[in-house]
Amino acid sequence: MGAVKEEAVVRSNVRKAMKARERANMAIFFGPAFLIVSFFFVVPVIVDIAISFTDLGRELRITEITTKNYDRAFTGDRQLPGVIARTVFYVGATLLIFNTTFGLVLALATTAIPKTSGTFFRAVWLLPRMSPSVVYAILWIWSIHGGDTSLVNQILKNLFGSEKPIDLIQLEPMWVIIFANGFIGASFAMIILTSAIRSIPEHLYHAARCDGAGSLAVTWHITLAHLRWPLTYIFIWQTLSLLTSFEYILLITGGGPFRATTVYAIFIFQRAFGSAGQYAYGAALAFFLIVPGVILALLLWRVSKMGTLLQKPRIEVQ
Amino acid sequence: MHKRLSYPIAVASFGLAMSFSTPGVSAQEIIELNLWSRADQSGPLRPGNILEGANRLNAQLEMDGADYRVSITVNEQPDQGGYDSDAERLLRAFAIGEGPDIFHQAHEWICAFAEPGYLFDLTDYTHDNPQFFADIFESLWESTECGGRRFAVPQDAEARMFFFNKGLMKEAGFSEEEIESLDERVLAGEVTLDGISEIAKQIVDNSDAEYGILHRPSRGPDYLMIFNQYGSSFLDPESGMLLLEEGKLADAYGWFERNVQNGVTPSNNTSMDWGFVRDQFWKENNAVMWMYGVWDIGSHAVPRGVPTDEEGFFELFGWTAAPAPVEGGRPGSLTHPIVYGVGAGEHAEIAAAVVGYASDADLNTNHAVTTTHIGIKNAQLEDPRYQEAWSLALATELLEFSHYMPNHPDFGTLNQIIYEALQGVETGQLSAEDAAAYVLDEADARIPDSIVIN
Repeated sequence: MGAVKEEAVVRSNVRKAMKARERANMAIFFGPAFLIVSFFFVVPVIVDIAISFTDLGRELRITEITTKNYDRAFTGDRQLPGVIARTVFYVGATLLIFNTTFGLVLALATTAIPKTSGTFFRAVWLLPRMSPSVVYAILWIWSIHGGDTSLVNQILKNLFGSEKPIDLIQLEPMWVIIFANGFIGASFAMIILTSAIRSIPEHLYHAARCDGAGSLAVTWHITLAHLRWPLTYIFIWQTLSLLTSFEYILLITGGGPFRATTVYAIFIFQRAFGSAGQYAYGAALAFFLIVPGVILALLLWRVSKMGTLLQKPRIEVQ
Repeated sequence: MHKRLSYPIAVASFGLAMSFSTPGVSAQEIIELNLWSRADQSGPLRPGNILEGANRLNAQLEMDGADYRVSITVNEQPDQGGYDSDAERLLRAFAIGEGPDIFHQAHEWICAFAEPGYLFDLTDYTHDNPQFFADIFESLWESTECGGRRFAVPQDAEARMFFFNKGLMKEAGFSEEEIESLDERVLAGEVTLDGISEIAKQIVDNSDAEYGILHRPSRGPDYLMIFNQYGSSFLDPESGMLLLEEGKLADAYGWFERNVQNGVTPSNNTSMDWGFVRDQFWKENNAVMWMYGVWDIGSHAVPRGVPTDEEGFFELFGWTAAPAPVEGGRPGSLTHPIVYGVGAGEHAEIAAAVVGYASDADLNTNHAVTTTHIGIKNAQLEDPRYQEAWSLALATELLEFSHYMPNHPDFGTLNQIIYEALQGVETGQLSAEDAAAYVLDEADARIPDSIVIN
C-alpha cells in the first residue's frame, strides 16, 4: 500500500516536473517572440490609438481628448481620396507586375537554365535587396535624373541620338517607384519560388514527359500547380508590405513631384511630421493602415485557404 | 582678399583659443551654454561670432573679477533642408526640454518658438543694454518681434533680386543700352513681371541657354517676392493672422504657370539640385535669370569663378528688383534676416550677453563681408572693409521697397503649402486657380486657427 502511494507521489512529482519544464520550455521558446511582438507591435498600436484621440501637435502637449482627428480623416481631408487611389494603383501594379508575376518568371527562367547561370542571374537580381536602401535610391536617382549625365539620358543620347534629356521623375514618377520597389520585391518571390520549384519531385516531370506533355503543359500542370501555396503566401505578404511602402519612395521622389507619388504611408509621414507637426492626426491616419492591414491579412488567409497549408499532414511521409 | 577658415577649423581654433586664453578659469564656476548651429558656407561666422562673443564676455568677466566664466558647446548639424527643416527639428528639441541656449534661425520662425514660451523675452534686456543693441538698425528689430515684444537679435539681412546674365542677353541680340538699363527700367515700372519673362523667353529662343528663369528648388523666401508683387502680404494687420486671398494667389501662380508653358522655367525646377541650379546660372551660362539673394555672390558665385570686383562682376552679370505685375507699378524685393534666439533657460541673460558681444560691429562685419550679407549696425557702414564690399552697398538700395515675410508662428507651415502648390503648378498637376484653392484647403486643414480667408 505504502509502495503504491509512494509511486503515486513520485508519478505526481514527475508530472509536476514535466509541467514545469513544459512551461519553462514554452517561456524559452515563445518568450522572445512574445516580447518582441508585444513591444514592437502591440504596444505601438496601443500608443498610436491613444495618441490618435488627442491633439498632440508641434509643441508635444496634449490639451484635450478628442475625436476630431477621425472627423477630419472622414470628412475634412481633401487629399485623402487621391492618396488612397494612388496607393491602390501602386500596390496593385507593383504586386501584379513585379512581386508575383516577374518573380515567378525569374524563378522559372533561372531554374530552367543550367544551374551555374541560374545562380548567377539570381545573385544579380538579389543585389538591389542586399544594397543599403540609401545606396539603392542614389543609384536610381543617378540613373534617371533629368540632367544629361544620367544613365538613361546617356543611353538615349549615345545610342539613339536623342538631343533632349528626359526627366523620368517628372514624366513618370509613379512608374519610377513601381519599378524601384518592384525590382526588390521580385527577388523575394524569386527566392521562395525557386526553392519551391526545386522541391517538386523530379519523377513528376519524367512521368509527364512520358505521357507526352510539352514544356508549357509541364510548366502549367506540374510546376505552377505546385506553386499555389508559395504564391499565395507571397501575395499576402507583399500586399501588406507594399501598403506600408515608405523608404524608397521617400528617398527617390519624396512623395512628389507635388503629390504624384504620395502613397498612404508617405502621406502619414507628411501629415504627422510636416511643418505643422500634426502627430495626433498622423496617428489617426496610421490607425487606418493598421486595421485594413489586419483585416486584409485575415481575409486573404481565408480566401486563399492558407490555413490548410499549415495543417498537419494527413499521411506521414517516411 | 579675405581667406576664410573652413568652419570645423574655425570652431576648433576658437575652442582651443578659449581653452588656453583664460588661465585660472578652472578655479571659477563654468557656465555651460549650448549653441545650436548648422554647417553652412553661407554663414560660418554665425556660430563663429558667438564663440568669439563668449571670449569677449569672458575677458570682461575677468576684468570685472566675476566668479564665473562662460563655455560654449557647439552642436553643429549638417544642412538638411535649410532653415525650415532646422526650425521643425529645433521645435521638437525645445518641446522635450532639449532646446539650446543660443541658436540662429530665419526670422519668420521666431514666433513659433516664442509662442510656446521657449524663448527669453529680450525686450527689456535689449533696452537695458544699449552698449550691445542700440546701434542696430531700427527697421531690423521688426523682424524679431512677436506681439510687439522682441524675441531675437538681428544677425544679418540681405536683399532678394533677379540676377541676369548679360552675355546671354548680348548673344540673343539685345543692345548694350537695353542690357544696362534693364534694372532702371524695372525700377521705373516699365518692365513688368510678364515683360521680364518675355525677355527671358527671347533669350532662350535666340541663344544657347536652356533655361530662362530659375528659382530656388526648395521651400524658402525668394518666390514669395512674386506673391508680394501680386498683392499677397500674407498678414492681416487687423487680426494679426495669416491672410489668404485666393484671387491674388492665383495671379501669382499664373505667372509661374505661364513661365513653364512658355519654356521660360523648366517644369522640374522644384526637383533640381541646388548645386545644379547655381552651376547653370553662375558657371555654365545656361540660365538667363536666377531669382535669389545678394549673399549668393560671396557664398556661391565667387567659388564658381565669378569675378569678385564690381567691374568684373557687372561685365558678366546684373541684377534687378522683382518687377511690378503691371506697368507703372512698384518693384519689389524681399529681405530675409537671420536672427539669434536665446532659450528661456536658467542662464538666459548670460546667453543674451554672449549674443550682445557676438553682435559687435567688427564681428558682424567679418560675417557680412565674407558672405555678402548686409550688416546690422550703423557703425558697420563706416568700416572700410564694409565700404569696399560693393555688393552690400548696392543691395542696400533694394531695401527701400523690400518686404519681410510675416513673423507668425504658422507662416513656415503656410510657406510649405505655398511651395507644394508651386510644385503642382510647375509640374502641370495644378492650374493656377487650382493651386490657389489648394493653398486655401490645405491651410484650412493644417493651420485652421491661424488663417483669415478673403
